[in-house]
Amino acid sequence: MSNNHRLPRLPGEWIDRAHSIEFEFEGKHFQGFAGDTISSALWASGQRVLGRSFKYHRPRGIFSLANHDVNGMMQWGQKLNVRADVTLLEMGMQLSAVNTFGGLNKDPAKVLNHLSRFLPVGFYYKAFHGKRLFPRWERVFRTLAGLGKVNLSTPRLLTPKDYAFCAVLIVGAGPSGLAAALAAADQGADVVIVDENAQAGGSGGYQIGGELAKREATEALLVRVIAHPRIRLLTGIYAAGYYTDHWIALVDDKKMTKLRAEAVVIAAGSFEQPAVFRNNDLPGVVLGSAAQRLIYRYAVRPMQRAVVLCANADGYRVALDLIVHGVMVAAIVDLRAHHQPCDAEVELAAKGVEMHTGTCIVEALPTPGCSGVAGARIAAFANGVADAATARDIPCDGIVMSVGWAPAANLLYQAGTHMRYDDLVEQFVPDALPPGVFACGRVNGVYDFKARLLDGERAGSAAAAHVGFGEKRSVSVPVELESSSFPWPIVAHPQGKNFVDFDEDLQLKDFENAVQEGFDNIELLKRFTTNGMGPSQGKHSNMNALRILARLVDKHPREVGTTTARPFFHPVPMALLAGRGFHPVRRTPMHLRHAAMGAYFMSAGDWQRPEYYARQHKDRLECIREEVDMVRHGVGIIDVGTLGKLEIIGPQAAEFLERVYVSRYANLKIGMTRYAVMCDETGVVVDDGVVARLAEDHFYFTTTTSGATAIYRELSRLNTQWQMACGIINHTGAFAAINLAGPQSRKVLARVTTLDLSAAAFPYLAIREGKVAGIPARLMRVGFVGEWGYEIHVPAEDGVALWDALVAAGSPFGIRPFGVEAQRLLRLEKGHVIIGQDTDGLTTPFEAGLGWAVKMDKPFFIGQRSLQIVDKQPQRQRLVGFRLDQAHGGPAPQECHLVIHDGAISGRITSIGWSHILCAYIGLAMVTPELAKPDQTFEIRITDGSLVVARVTPTPFYDPEQRQQKEEA
Amino acid sequence: MTTMLRQSPLAGWKTPDQLVQDQQGTATLWMVDRSLTPRFGCKGPSAGEWLAAQGLPVPAPANSWVEIHNGRIARLGRSEFLIEGSETIVSRLKSSPRADGVYPVLRQDLALALGGQAVRNLFAQTCSVNFAAMGPAAHPVVLTSMVGVGVVVIPEQIQGVPRFLLWADCTYGPYLWKTLLGIAKELGGGRVLAEIPGAQALAHESQP
Repeated sequence: MSNNHRLPRLPGEWIDRAHSIEFEFEGKHFQGFAGDTISSALWASGQRVLGRSFKYHRPRGIFSLANHDVNGMMQWGQKLNVRADVTLLEMGMQLSAVNTFGGLNKDPAKVLNHLSRFLPVGFYYKAFHGKRLFPRWERVFRTLAGLGKVNLSTPRLLTPKDYAFCAVLIVGAGPSGLAAALAAADQGADVVIVDENAQAGGSGGYQIGGELAKREATEALLVRVIAHPRIRLLTGIYAAGYYTDHWIALVDDKKMTKLRAEAVVIAAGSFEQPAVFRNNDLPGVVLGSAAQRLIYRYAVRPMQRAVVLCANADGYRVALDLIVHGVMVAAIVDLRAHHQPCDAEVELAAKGVEMHTGTCIVEALPTPGCSGVAGARIAAFANGVADAATARDIPCDGIVMSVGWAPAANLLYQAGTHMRYDDLVEQFVPDALPPGVFACGRVNGVYDFKARLLDGERAGSAAAAHVGFGEKRSVSVPVELESSSFPWPIVAHPQGKNFVDFDEDLQLKDFENAVQEGFDNIELLKRFTTNGMGPSQGKHSNMNALRILARLVDKHPREVGTTTARPFFHPVPMALLAGRGFHPVRRTPMHLRHAAMGAYFMSAGDWQRPEYYARQHKDRLECIREEVDMVRHGVGIIDVGTLGKLEIIGPQAAEFLERVYVSRYANLKIGMTRYAVMCDETGVVVDDGVVARLAEDHFYFTTTTSGATAIYRELSRLNTQWQMACGIINHTGAFAAINLAGPQSRKVLARVTTLDLSAAAFPYLAIREGKVAGIPARLMRVGFVGEWGYEIHVPAEDGVALWDALVAAGSPFGIRPFGVEAQRLLRLEKGHVIIGQDTDGLTTPFEAGLGWAVKMDKPFFIGQRSLQIVDKQPQRQRLVGFRLDQAHGGPAPQECHLVIHDGAISGRITSIGWSHILCAYIGLAMVTPELAKPDQTFEIRITDGSLVVARVTPTPFYDPEQRQQKEEA
Repeated sequence: MTTMLRQSPLAGWKTPDQLVQDQQGTATLWMVDRSLTPRFGCKGPSAGEWLAAQGLPVPAPANSWVEIHNGRIARLGRSEFLIEGSETIVSRLKSSPRADGVYPVLRQDLALALGGQAVRNLFAQTCSVNFAAMGPAAHPVVLTSMVGVGVVVIPEQIQGVPRFLLWADCTYGPYLWKTLLGIAKELGGGRVLAEIPGAQALAHESQP
């Protein structure tokens, strides 16, 4: 297609005519220039219909050209909902409109436009009211709703997120923002100024209206800003949300930046608002600012013959701009009955342009197929009502609306600004700003160009002074002489299709009906009508909706108020929100050794641990059972470096441990260890481990893998509170730890150490310090898995060397590594409890069978008082061992299956596994006390609903005499 | 009896393609593993006095550092110290008798040095601290979080180019290394180095 709507080269245009760009839209070939947006290139090529509306599938074209044309969203391959009005053209784009079935022109869903009477406001909610038709409506809505098609095979993008900082952030690089930036930077502040547009300058670059001096002034400001060493100007980036302490989410096309400012100046400007009249959504009905953007940024003539609907001086300026660039202005229709003529109006009158005051557009007359404008039907307008008797038609191919503005105050609201409705400018303006937040320009109710520059200077200076740079300047900002916004730019029409919200196809009558149904509060009205809930988030509908509601309930707009503004101010692509995920993973020093030995890793909190070691031609269960066998009959080796490893040193170290654990440690002999259970203040078990005494004032102790960080934090808190003469050190990551277990473990260890390993010199539960394979080590004779074994702790940097040495020393004994699953089964055979699995957030030591460890006669320990109370009350539950009949051949119960007794829930399974050593399913269950008797049977309800009988069995299941861990002297 | 062989937490995780030498030293970004640098830690109410008694300078303000021969002493908070220096100094400290109110800390850190023109961008994507606002002359020590991991950071300027020393729990080493390397490659266009000329003074590494 030819560029038949492209204007001759204009100074300051954003397109690069030297670089032509070819692309496709809806299967047709088009051409534009570098710097064009998709919409501007299509419009320049004569393409008026850019998409279809969400509900009625009405044809839509350019409306705002300001990132809010949500009916002009497109799909480009895997990218969906590409905003055509602001997305820069790229070579080879293949675009299609998102909200159609079978193409923009065919789209059979356009029939919905004729069924609108059957789709009244609240239809969506009402459809779901009855349960019977719910599934049917769900299918219908799921088919019709949604924008674009998600390609589920789209690869994940690791979009970055970053942090940035500045003294003063200016949001908006229009005239007032630029003035604010210069004022703040001149006072010494480090300034960042952001603007969502591809180039800075804001309205100063396109709202010319015959006054080129405005653009020259804006350009001069921009030159100074770019040259200023303390200003960073960022374009193509928008401030999407304000968070406490001046955290601002900045979003560009590639990433999100979390910027922390010391002060923020909101110079975000305002959104031009549409007039409401029948067919105000036809392609060719555009906002005045959109027409000016088309002309001055992209050198595109918006239409050939225009009717300008206005209610402020901006409309007359737009008309001047149109005429200057070859558009025939057929008429100017001013909603106001009386006003003070502006310079532009005088100039237009001199040119002989037809003007009508106290007049409205009743209806835009469509071309056949509703793909454009054929004319404007105007009528006298008084007291907000059109006089149909005076209607007459004016032929045109475009209607330009300039009837008012709404402040882009979303960030101000999010920051907690108290806003008030200013009758003079007919908009909400900041009344009380939070500390460190400033506003200037249109968002502050200042519209005159020179006044905006002064207002920017005032705000920038105040912001810099707020953060300690210079003195706040005294700047006088003149009061506005006229309102730029008309209080009622809305015209009723018996046939409707006079749209208030273009995202959701909401007509004037929808609001009237909603209020009639009782939704007469702005928040209720929003939710019932879905006004402002579309992709543009009400930027062009909220103000008119508010005015409509005010009139319907006979209130002033200030009484109606606004809806809550929440982040994000503008939709943020999911890819940018997700960003690069940071999921910390901890690995022990021996991780690569495990991998080389075939480990299948599992997550244990942040840690990666070997679940089991895979063997060729063997399945998981076989591998685990072989690992168990090797520990029971030979020697196994397991990496237990994930255990929490803490140290406490000082004269009051023993007393500290007495306070935080339920057992006694003051009497623990040097060189010995003791099991340790920790409770919280309610007496609930929260952790366990082993405490070892290395010296009178020095203890080394372990915690559970998952508990290490929290326990260290809590102990540090307690030590700060108690101020005891001891210090706690977290050595969890600093020590590697290996458990060598099995009947042959002593022989293996003996090959790499000179320590005396005899039972007399190194008895069960003892700790020794010495060298293993030349490495300084701490060795504990503990037996979580119920065999003779050693837990060996060495500095992390020596972990691999120790592992290698032990594996080599164990080779003649057939040593095998074993993983978490084998360890779980081994400990289950011993009836050892795993805190957090066999206990829960309510389990006391008495219920968990750990009462033997609780020394209630100690002066104090955490949880003691609660346990004293609990101990006097009947027990609610108790952990017991159980086994299934050896003949059981059906499906096995699983952890968390319920225990059923006399038809009632009487507990749950906490651990269960098949012990091939014992040839039975064994497990632990938390049951009611009446079931916790030896040989008592109970039933377990398994997944398929059937019941399996289990019998209470004393623990340990394996080696109840503990002979495997102690040498018979 | 096996011979002891110390290993960096990154041993086996650094692939050969990362060990590119940049003879001009103009890398956009570089990362050096210096985990095996001799290191000692202590904490406790008397730790500062104890270090002074060992003839070492003690940084007075919390979260600051002072230089020592071939290294530095960093004060972490009020009462904890991280000492890096020559093997002689560190060995002497390790073998000194424990004193009242002084608790030795086994330092098995992942220790990295990061530098290059784009290093600030790397930190901007991984850490929420505004390092640019800190005057290196004040010798700041920052205890913060980076890509979800607790780290100690010392920002420096070497001939106007920023450089960062970083310490973290060694068990996060491979994760931290891989994450930083991935971002660094994006920022540096693949010219990310594990070693740079003159890095030996930083690395003290017996083997990769």
